[in-house]
Amino acid sequence: MQSWRRRKSLWLALSASWLLLVLLGGFSLLRLALPPRPRPGASQGWPRWLDAELLQSFSQAGELPEDAASPPQAPHGGSCNWGACFDTSKCRGDGLKVFVYPASGPISETHHRILASIEGSRFHTFSPAGACLLLLLSLDAQTGECSSMPLQWNRGRNHLVLRLHPAPCPKTFQLGQAMVAEASPTVDSFRPGFDVALPFLPEAHPLRGGAPGQLQQHSPQPGIALLALEEERGGWRTADTGSSACPWDAHCEQDPGSRQTQRRETLPNATFCLISGHRPEAASRFLQALQAGCIPVLLSPRWELPFSEVIDWTKAAIVADERLPLQVLAALQEMSPARVLALRQQTQFLWDAYFSSVEKVIHTTLEVIQDRIFGTSAHPSLLWNSPPGALLALSTFSISPQDFPFYHLQQGSRPEGRFSALIWVGPPGQPPLKLIQAVAGSQHCAQILVLWSNERPLPSSWPETAMPLTVIDGHRKVSDRFFPYSTIRTDAILSLDAHSSLSTSEVDFAFVVWQSFPERMVGFLTSSHFWDEAHGGWGYTAERTNEFSMVLTTAAFYHRYYHTLFTHSLPKVLRTLADEAPTCVDVLMNFLVAAVTKLPPIKVPYSKQRQEAAPLASGGPGPRPKPQAPAPDCVNQIAAAFGHMPLLSSRLRLDPVLFKDPVSVQRKKYRSLEKP
Amino acid sequence: MASKPYHRVGLELECEKEAVCVIMCASVKYNIRGPALIPRMKTKHRIYYITLFSIVLLGLIATGMFQFWPHSIESSNDWNVEKRSVRDVPVVRLPANSPIPERGDLSCRMHTCFDVYRCGFNPKNKIKVYIYALKKYVDDFGVPVSNTISREYNELLTAISDSDYYTDDINRACLFVPSIDVLNQNTLRIKETAQVLAQLSRWDRGTNHLLFNMLPGGPPDYNTALDVPRDRALLAGGGFSTWTYRQGYDVSIPVYSPLSAEVDLPEKGPGPRRHFLISSQVGLHPEYREDLEALQVKHGESVLVLDKCTNLSEGVLSIRKRCHKHQVFDYPQVLQEATFCVVLRGARLGQAILSDVLQAGCVPVVIADSYILPFSEVLDWKRASVVVPEEKMSDVYSILQSIPQRQIEEMQRQARWFWEAYFQSIKAIALATLQIINDRIYPYAAISYEEWNDPPAVKWGSVSNPLFLPLIPPQSQGFTAIVLTYDRVESLFRVITEVSKVPSLSKLLVVWNNQNKNPPEDSLWPKIRVPLKVVRTAENKLSNRFFPYDEIETEAVLAIDDDIIMLTSDELQFGYEVWREFPDRLVGYPGRLHLWDHEMNKWKYESEWTNEVSMVLTGAAFYHKYFNYLYTYKMPGDIKNWVDAHMNCEDIAMNFLVANVTGKAVIKVTPRKKFKCPECTAIDGLSLDQTHMVERSECINKFASVFGTMPLKVVEHRADPVLYKDDFPEKLKSFPNIGSL
Repeated sequence: MQSWRRRKSLWLALSASWLLLVLLGGFSLLRLALPPRPRPGASQGWPRWLDAELLQSFSQAGELPEDAASPPQAPHGGSCNWGACFDTSKCRGDGLKVFVYPASGPISETHHRILASIEGSRFHTFSPAGACLLLLLSLDAQTGECSSMPLQWNRGRNHLVLRLHPAPCPKTFQLGQAMVAEASPTVDSFRPGFDVALPFLPEAHPLRGGAPGQLQQHSPQPGIALLALEEERGGWRTADTGSSACPWDAHCEQDPGSRQTQRRETLPNATFCLISGHRPEAASRFLQALQAGCIPVLLSPRWELPFSEVIDWTKAAIVADERLPLQVLAALQEMSPARVLALRQQTQFLWDAYFSSVEKVIHTTLEVIQDRIFGTSAHPSLLWNSPPGALLALSTFSISPQDFPFYHLQQGSRPEGRFSALIWVGPPGQPPLKLIQAVAGSQHCAQILVLWSNERPLPSSWPETAMPLTVIDGHRKVSDRFFPYSTIRTDAILSLDAHSSLSTSEVDFAFVVWQSFPERMVGFLTSSHFWDEAHGGWGYTAERTNEFSMVLTTAAFYHRYYHTLFTHSLPKVLRTLADEAPTCVDVLMNFLVAAVTKLPPIKVPYSKQRQEAAPLASGGPGPRPKPQAPAPDCVNQIAAAFGHMPLLSSRLRLDPVLFKDPVSVQRKKYRSLEKP
Repeated sequence: MASKPYHRVGLELECEKEAVCVIMCASVKYNIRGPALIPRMKTKHRIYYITLFSIVLLGLIATGMFQFWPHSIESSNDWNVEKRSVRDVPVVRLPANSPIPERGDLSCRMHTCFDVYRCGFNPKNKIKVYIYALKKYVDDFGVPVSNTISREYNELLTAISDSDYYTDDINRACLFVPSIDVLNQNTLRIKETAQVLAQLSRWDRGTNHLLFNMLPGGPPDYNTALDVPRDRALLAGGGFSTWTYRQGYDVSIPVYSPLSAEVDLPEKGPGPRRHFLISSQVGLHPEYREDLEALQVKHGESVLVLDKCTNLSEGVLSIRKRCHKHQVFDYPQVLQEATFCVVLRGARLGQAILSDVLQAGCVPVVIADSYILPFSEVLDWKRASVVVPEEKMSDVYSILQSIPQRQIEEMQRQARWFWEAYFQSIKAIALATLQIINDRIYPYAAISYEEWNDPPAVKWGSVSNPLFLPLIPPQSQGFTAIVLTYDRVESLFRVITEVSKVPSLSKLLVVWNNQNKNPPEDSLWPKIRVPLKVVRTAENKLSNRFFPYDEIETEAVLAIDDDIIMLTSDELQFGYEVWREFPDRLVGYPGRLHLWDHEMNKWKYESEWTNEVSMVLTGAAFYHKYFNYLYTYKMPGDIKNWVDAHMNCEDIAMNFLVANVTGKAVIKVTPRKKFKCPECTAIDGLSLDQTHMVERSECINKFASVFGTMPLKVVEHRADPVLYKDDFPEKLKSFPNIGSL
């Protein structure tokens, strides 16, 4: 019985296999048996020629070398390009130097402020002879003030005519070889790589600072309208496209039942904003949409997108063909959440980096031209198109993204594992021996720099450490602390004051934390800003509170790039302010980093005992009678110069994982942090 | 097994015994079935059967070969493609008076000259391209209009025909490619070629027609675009200048170098090379050659200016040799000896040498004013080349010297990558051209800058955080708590009551994962101040916890188990505040670590009191709701199903996913707690704990292999309130009730 059953199952398996064999094999045999011939209706494709191997090459050997060059050609028909019409030899020395023509006659307040803003920038020069770019401002549309031909015109060579608002002015003179920077130039008149396309700014655009983007959250709110459409009279109308197929098409107007529309005068509240490409005026809507975080959908734009030379608009806007409305709409509806998320965030970044104020627009224009002059050492595309943007990532510092604190993720790189301690020795002038030893004890320390900034002579002997120790003789100015010394060789800087007192494990832990947040400041002692209703201004406190917005730079880790930014990008006025009121320097550095990162600093634990007694809490170099009072108006002055309040508050402190946990101290890596 | 009640036994004891059983049972069954195929019987029969079996088996294998390797017998393409000779193509006589198209319209743009309606019905955002059949055109006297077809143009059309773009249905096509070969203007008769174009069946003023031309112009003035009148046709040209190039309409393509196929230059790593600058072009304008030779005199060895060889013996291919004085060099191999290679314009702007230079990983120094570099619409040439104005030629050396070494190496790598991706074959050129046109027509589906420009190594290493904008969401938005539950109603109600005390809670969502039992009646649920929704699921799956429910209206989500009753309101509120500062991270309470086990050579899960964390358990964690979407729809490989089948490790999977996509570490908040549960005491804690740890370690190893990397990041910090454990009056602290055990 048993064997019969076995045999039966065996036969079953056998016959099943045979069946399979016949089924599978049959087809192949059948196919082999039939002569191969094209099946009717099947794709024919490009034929495989039997003699394809014998075909001749399109260019015969020896032909190419024959085509001898002709001498350089002159520019065709008055049209200009960068190589032909701009003389870069004048820009050799220190990059782009800009001379601005003084306005003839009385000028408006705006004009005056724009002039002041350019004069305060690092590009400006007062001598037209030394300038490599001569800037002709044509600003005020409504006053009807039209500029006449300037003196050093020279057929417009190396000139930039900057028109912020579309000028009603008749062209009083030939532009010649001058570049034109104007709002939304038409595609036909725009000379790529030579002219600069500006955004279409509204009349009341803020000069400095500017309103932040409107986006409150990363992903679109549920229930938000998919589309907003621009109205003739300057408003926006939202349309629910779930039902309507072609909301901007006149044919659909007959079917109002399927669509809810809503008039809005303010910024559009929708995921996508449809903007007509025909009228250049629509370009002003483009900026509105950008600010609102509403992804602009441009229908066959006839005008050049602002700063298209450097900004990758495909990351923030959608350019679509107006002739394919159904496809565009379907594409918008089907767009993946990931793409929508990315586009929305990019609108906010671009708005904030390049468009939110007149000053930013002008600086971006100059930066674009500087990049052309720099050629290979211009900003890489990544620096233009990801936060914090090219105005805050100076190409003079480096053009390798991994040298900056911002791009480690995109580059797949990591911040360096070492830091340099920079100890500022102020007036009393005592060599900070104990501090040097504590810092030198850290396994991550690469070098110690002492910035000797007082009247006493340099001491001849320094403590014996294995660490390389460099003494820099400073200029007795507080802003020296943040000078980009070439002797600083690591990315991370531990900024210290002679009076600071830190333990080695505090330094170690703080540095490890900094490696996770290389773009932020990581500090031990904090202070905060607050809005003072009584005085109608910003207030400052160094008292211990539940939140903080600044860390004191008398003991803080940060990236060395901030030294470059502090020295080269801050307006001179602010650095002078810091030199005159030394306590402001902390506030200023915190403002700078917060404006760049748009994030609060990070606090790490600091031994309690010293926290109460130490002069470190004073918030500035040197002991002062009233330690917790920086110059009263410091915060307000700096906020005014920035045009907004960039500081943000944090409510957390980063502690070691087992900090004060009820577990044996032996298991803890940073046990000395817990000493009472 | 899925219908079996699923109990969560505390955060630490998440053993799913059932899952283990199934795996074990299954493997045992296989073991029983295996030997049963050949039963014990008489030896004679046995041999007979074994032989029979082998025959059948062999037959099966052979059939399989037929099925799955059809190429070994027949080329799949030959199946339906005719084999003919180029000489057999039909001859068409062109009347002398047939119409000629207008000259090219310089104002053409996509929205004026391109008929996009023809592309309206192309599915998957892909244009369809039709190729006209090959014909031989002759004039009234029987003299051919052009060479029938060149090897490269045949390759180009073959590449298009083999691509996804191709259609043989002229009515569905959006782009038309004439088969008349205009790659080299010198091989054709201009007027007659134009007449040929005009008589194409869908010519219509050249709308949506694409011509490929690499060598435009002819003596003496060498126009920079094809001279054949072509009206609105798009031109993919290899030598455009700013004067002839219609930005956004034409496509600038490389001049293909036949050496690309002939010479195999293995990639040479970046770094310093023997010569700093080399010029290897022959037939240079004397003025340029003088400038270059002056450089050589000035800088000696580091500059090498080569020329044609005059004294070569017969039979040596002169195009593959270059000479400097009496020294003979192999071309293009000599290019690999230089850091920078000069690409000067000749009579034409586009030079085939650009391709050779890129192939050699040499950084091209392009000296050709107004030249539109190949594919400049999408390729960022700043990263791979140096463009020097002609009048600055004498300064070339100092310009190049000012480039830092690190950047040079980057450019060398980029140059080689450009060649590999876009220059190395006619096919690469053709497909890149079509892709550019495709991206213009379907811009919302276009390829990004990074995809065009980043070499594969960079693409692999880089992370693009989906939440890259630094943004602190407003506190007012609050968070949605999601409680996954099976049937532990009592514990669930306690969790609901506790969580509802958190000020920033805006909604509570209960995911009822028990299909056999209805949730309690409405009246029985605790009365809380925020909306409470119960979602019933179709299947008892762990992934239900991470589904992007429409009910989630806030960005912040708190995932919490139905037995986590020990977290205080202060702790939860503080956790939410921390999440606001780190909205792109997982912010959770119990932290865990992964470790490399050197003995076993694999990853190990660690839940001890360690100084480091790399994961937080999602039994109590805040995160952005976008990660729910990613978990549900974008989880790599089979991880999602694997987790559902094993009823374990959904939290580890979430940690992997978030770390992989953001490149960032988790944030553990507040001190460690003892997450105990009432049910735990009944079970033998120790042994269960061990199987649990083994399973969790297996999960880490499984996920790491699916992700192809270990994305988790280890950190040594956790987040506490600013004044935590500080000597400060408790009542003045914002979050006093933190850290109680």
